[in-house]
Amino acid sequence: MTAVRGALHAVRSAPGPSMAAAVIVGLFLYALVVPLFAADPFRLSGMSIMDSFTPPVWMEGGNPRFPLGADDQGRNLLTAMAYGLRTSIIVGVSSVLIGLVLGGALGLLSGFVGGRTDAVIMRIADVQLAYPALLLAMVIDGIATAVYGRERSAGLAITIVIFAIGIALWVQFARTIRSSVMVERDHDYVAAALVTGRSKIAIVLQHILPNVMAPVLVIATINLGIAIITEATLSFLGIGIPLTHPSLGALIRNGNAYLQSGEWWISAWPCLVLVLLVIAVNVLGDHLRDHFNPKLRGRS
Amino acid sequence: MSSQPLLQVRDLSITLTRAGMHLPVLDAVSFDVAAGEVLGVVGESGAGKSVAGAAIIDLLVPPLRRASGAISLGGDRLDLMRPAEMRRVRGKRVGFVFQDPMTSLNPVLSIGRQLTDTMRTHLKLGRGALRSRALDWIERVGLPNPRRVFDAAPHELSGGQRQRIVIALALCAEPDIVIADEPTTALDVSVQAQMLDLMRTLHAETGAAMLLITHDLGVVAKMADRVAVFYAGRVVETAPTRTLFEAPRHPYTAGLMAATPAPDHEGRMQVTAIPGAMPGIGALPSGCAFHPRCVRAKADCLSMAPPLSPLGDGAAACFHPLQRKDVP
Amino acid sequence: MILHAVERVLQTILVLLVISFVAFMLIATLGDPLGVLLPPDATMAERNALIARLSLDQPLMQRFLSFLGGIVQGDFGLSYRTQEEVGGMILERLPATAELAIASLVITILIAIPAGILCGVRPKALVSRVIMFVSIAGITLPNFVVGILLIAVFSVQLGWLPSFGRGQTVSIGGLETGLLTWSGWRAIILPAITLAAFQMTFVIRMLRTQLMEVGQSEHIRFARARGLSEARIWFVYAIRNALLPTVTMLGLQLGNIIAFSVVTESVFAWPGLGSLFLQSVQAADIPVIAIYLIFVGAVYMLINLAVELSYPLIDPRLKRRGA
Repeated sequence: MTAVRGALHAVRSAPGPSMAAAVIVGLFLYALVVPLFAADPFRLSGMSIMDSFTPPVWMEGGNPRFPLGADDQGRNLLTAMAYGLRTSIIVGVSSVLIGLVLGGALGLLSGFVGGRTDAVIMRIADVQLAYPALLLAMVIDGIATAVYGRERSAGLAITIVIFAIGIALWVQFARTIRSSVMVERDHDYVAAALVTGRSKIAIVLQHILPNVMAPVLVIATINLGIAIITEATLSFLGIGIPLTHPSLGALIRNGNAYLQSGEWWISAWPCLVLVLLVIAVNVLGDHLRDHFNPKLRGRS
Repeated sequence: MSSQPLLQVRDLSITLTRAGMHLPVLDAVSFDVAAGEVLGVVGESGAGKSVAGAAIIDLLVPPLRRASGAISLGGDRLDLMRPAEMRRVRGKRVGFVFQDPMTSLNPVLSIGRQLTDTMRTHLKLGRGALRSRALDWIERVGLPNPRRVFDAAPHELSGGQRQRIVIALALCAEPDIVIADEPTTALDVSVQAQMLDLMRTLHAETGAAMLLITHDLGVVAKMADRVAVFYAGRVVETAPTRTLFEAPRHPYTAGLMAATPAPDHEGRMQVTAIPGAMPGIGALPSGCAFHPRCVRAKADCLSMAPPLSPLGDGAAACFHPLQRKDVP
Repeated sequence: MILHAVERVLQTILVLLVISFVAFMLIATLGDPLGVLLPPDATMAERNALIARLSLDQPLMQRFLSFLGGIVQGDFGLSYRTQEEVGGMILERLPATAELAIASLVITILIAIPAGILCGVRPKALVSRVIMFVSIAGITLPNFVVGILLIAVFSVQLGWLPSFGRGQTVSIGGLETGLLTWSGWRAIILPAITLAAFQMTFVIRMLRTQLMEVGQSEHIRFARARGLSEARIWFVYAIRNALLPTVTMLGLQLGNIIAFSVVTESVFAWPGLGSLFLQSVQAADIPVIAIYLIFVGAVYMLINLAVELSYPLIDPRLKRRGA
């Protein structure tokens, strides 16, 4: 009961973020449930050339088996997108986690050790500013191909993309956590607690964690949007995730070729799903940022 | 007063819109300034004196708004003017000296540029004439080396020097009246006296009338011909300066005179001799706004606000004004 | 002032050296240049010649120095993919990207600056609200979706503009330009708008915020109290204060803009540096990737340095800083 009432209150006081949250939950369910009932259309068994270019069901030549139509390989777009969306979500969430872990570790190191270590880490962060996530991820992917060779790197493709994006996202996390550590580490209570024999790192961590939760959550949400766009863009460019693996970017890339000949639905639906997801994540991120604003201020 | 005064403000009311309510900030205020006269407007901060000055040339910033009242300048109704007409009044007929010299000058334009732009707007002068007149003004407000100042950016000048430029900017299009809103408050004490001297000299030279808004009775005593005392958005007393200082009629004015002003925690001068504090916006008591703090208050003061009525050679808004003999 | 400038220039050179070193290490440690560059039937002499050409027989530091020396003299090494000079490949692609960048900058200036001023001066007007609403698209939509959308509307539906290529180009002094032909002009419109979408949104939003802030300031109120016209107040007195932070923030977004140029060039099959980089990543052509990294870093650092060193021209307060 109270949960229902709380949700109703949230919807009334912040309709935009509530709608965004609903869209995100809806898309997650879509990506989770559809694969339970339908085979992966990117497998050979999921394709049938007979059905290729079937338009959406309400258009002439539509087929109820393909509500949103089929692509050039006869893949059912409704299921193909669910699989693609699953890739987007997996890559997005995992790469943000990697960015968080990497940035968190470097931020803690920078804040605790200080001095030259701190200077070096922060300088690297400055230089990395020149290279946005997309560019870095492309470079890292190119390096991975050079190291592993094309065949072997195809098998590792998703892992490589996750790490490529994750590595590109560490800077903001590191900066936030570093400044938190620097604020806390010289407080009197740290010295006081040291007397009791606990380690300095444990004490500071205990005090920092509640403080950094809010900004880290905000940065994570905003970076989730960036990570999803980056993955989709990489797949669209034909880098990283191979075309045989489901992804929204690959579907769009594929459909783009048929835009001129009038088969708009092949790229339009994946575009729509991608844009919905990204806008919902961004709206949520903006809302969180405004909500936690006093905590974010004076921190950067 | 012989003929029509230069500036005539009648029943000016200003409201502040907060949470959908229109709270009175200024309540039916009237005052006149004759040509060449200096009217001192005194009161505590929050009494509505700065708002009254800004309202004259329509400079109020929302949520402040003029609710009613008539303002005439040399017979022209300022309150009825369209924005384009008002622009020709601002600077040209009414100069305005801002309070804080540190924030009042545009930080990215040279002093000379700001002066010539202002004059070019109102006076038909060529490039050379504009420049030489700007140099003149820099010299007239007492700054050495006008050519250097002309090309300088505001941050290269001290606070006192900047306030001189602010005064030059207000006067350079030769207005008939200058509204000076706390012109010395933001300055060091040592610079305040110099600034008053400068304003007195310029007043004598230009003959422009002045509406001098201040919380500082010392400034009023030095500069003003007449004084209007503001309290909680109303004029409670007006009188020639000498009369006011010798024999204040309103108990609030008398309290002001007796009080030794001391700066509060924000550096503003506060009157300490009168018990209590001036009511805030939207918290006006019934009747005379001063009655909760007034030792002379009777039953009638609680029920109705006293109108401003002539008394001697001034006027006071009080049912039980002090007599001349009451003043120690 | 001069001292400060010298210090910043030295800092920039140091950072570029570090970037160059990282790029060099990529080339030195990844891939097998001899295997890639030599034909299978190469003779020992050919092999030795290539080793000398690439200075593979030298110690690492020595190789880095000759790598740097090569860059200074315009020798960027050999591509593994095409076996051509990287310098020549870049030079061949540069005009197309430069044209695209300039065109998108012109579009940004012509559209975003007036729109940003409008939104800052009249934030509550209907037009401003519409502009702000549309500008959300520029921030949230992935760059390639913007491109596809434009192609769908203006190429496929309306058939007004081409969706790929540069149109006809003319050679001037060895450099190809599309800006002298009608088809070149038509071809550049859609990619330039796609690339400009992000910058325009950014400039509009920054200008609006800055102008709304400046509009509240005392010196603008004082200017109004002196009777200056609204046009002069906004276009001279306010914009001068708002432009500096906007340009600074835009400079920091340059990396993003370069990344978007890769995407845009791919969507419109624009034969510029971005598509060269894309092909090189796909082919794991490390020398080209490394040189592109240095190129992007240098463009980013130098343009931001130029912006910073030009501050005093816009804002006299900064003239004496660091002196």
